[in-house]
Amino acid sequence: MKMEENKIDPRTKLIIVLCISFLAIIVRDLVSLFQLLILTLILSIFFGKNFKSSFLKFKSFLYIIFAIAILQSLFSNQGTAVFSIGKFTLITDYGLKRGLEFILRMMIVAFSANILATSSSREIIQGFVQMGMPYELAFMVATGIRFLPIMRDEIRDSVIAIQLRGIDLDKIPIRERINIYSYIFMPIVLGSISKAEKLAISIEMRGFRAYDSRTSYNQLSMSKLDYILISIITVFTTVFLILYLY
Amino acid sequence: MVSLVNLKDGDDLDFISVKNLNFHYEKGKYIIKNINLELDNREITIITGSNGSGKTTLGKLLMGILKPISGEISIQRKNISQMTLAEIGSKIGYLFQNPEKQFFTHSVQEELSFVLKSKGLELEYINKKVDNLLQTFQLEHLRESFPLKLSHGEKQRLAIAGILVNDIEYLILDEPTTGLDMKRKYILTDKLKELNKKGIGMLIISHDNEFIKLLADRKIKLDRGEIVEDGGE
Repeated sequence: MKMEENKIDPRTKLIIVLCISFLAIIVRDLVSLFQLLILTLILSIFFGKNFKSSFLKFKSFLYIIFAIAILQSLFSNQGTAVFSIGKFTLITDYGLKRGLEFILRMMIVAFSANILATSSSREIIQGFVQMGMPYELAFMVATGIRFLPIMRDEIRDSVIAIQLRGIDLDKIPIRERINIYSYIFMPIVLGSISKAEKLAISIEMRGFRAYDSRTSYNQLSMSKLDYILISIITVFTTVFLILYLY
Repeated sequence: MVSLVNLKDGDDLDFISVKNLNFHYEKGKYIIKNINLELDNREITIITGSNGSGKTTLGKLLMGILKPISGEISIQRKNISQMTLAEIGSKIGYLFQNPEKQFFTHSVQEELSFVLKSKGLELEYINKKVDNLLQTFQLEHLRESFPLKLSHGEKQRLAIAGILVNDIEYLILDEPTTGLDMKRKYILTDKLKELNKKGIGMLIISHDNEFIKLLADRKIKLDRGEIVEDGGE
């Protein structure tokens, strides 16, 4: 049976995401990275993602990315000083550039990965399997992806629960705060292990790996549009890379 | 209902006040619809209603875990939008539907003491308070046990004990009898009555009719986010 018509194959999306992420890692100049980010945003709108909701979803990750970028610029001592206290240089133009590159790179990877979320986990698994990946491995990858938002919610719940115990994280000394954060990670790590155990038991009981070969009722098939999109992204990646390197 | 006479110091007829409260997760699909409510800190109020009627959401809104779309919630006449979660948690203890969410440490004893330690209180005071709570909730023999390895009933008792470590003035309990056997349910009922006599008001979200009959001063029924019944049990 064919998947719904007029729907872009998850394998096409996977190839697009891989190409964009590959370019984001290779490219090391601000203008090219910015162009790639614009392309990623256009593509995610093309695939039906709402820009505002995607941005809100990544907002919590963006804080971490910005924090790392600031740390990166603080610890790089090349280039000319932009901000210094006495003889001690805090921020250099080189550090700022590296920090900005990091922010753009992470945003490209995150927004392009978001394109994959327009397919269901079942479709992604089927895509991996039809690309030759063993089913067990494809299932593990898709399950791992599914667990990421659950973990994010659990971290948020733990931070809320610890504050509701009367601990004001903003008012306690930094040493004590680090200690409290170590408490927060305990239920998250153990909860994840426990969830993985339960999931393993549950899928075994439902006959996972009961037979050596596994067939699938749902079969993906690529349309003309898929082939056109794959051709465009492959040519684009090659040309972009050649122009960038030479 | 509790009569208005014989008011004592600390008694607050509108300890929690809710005005025109509205909330939705998805635009247009209201979970809480224009709720107006005043909760007395001398009463035990029970919230009932079918699954999805908005009971847990209302509890989370009162604790400041969720932010209202419109309307106002005040604790002792202070708007909770101006309070931190820690400030709310120091006044009102909240029992999550899943008590596991409230455990952070590697032992039952540590679970009760770590909040007090982080507040810099004296060790002698902490030990006394922890021993007292362990005894009250029959957890003494589990002192060194790992919280996540306890049975559901034991986890429920530990979570309530953990809340009571703080000198709170009000309790919001989300399905506290889930997983408790009859004996433990009666022990919990007695303990809650005892706490109420000491001046701690309560809002209990429950489906357990027997438990409701034993405890309720006031019963509120929610249906599709609206209060459809509000009265004495």
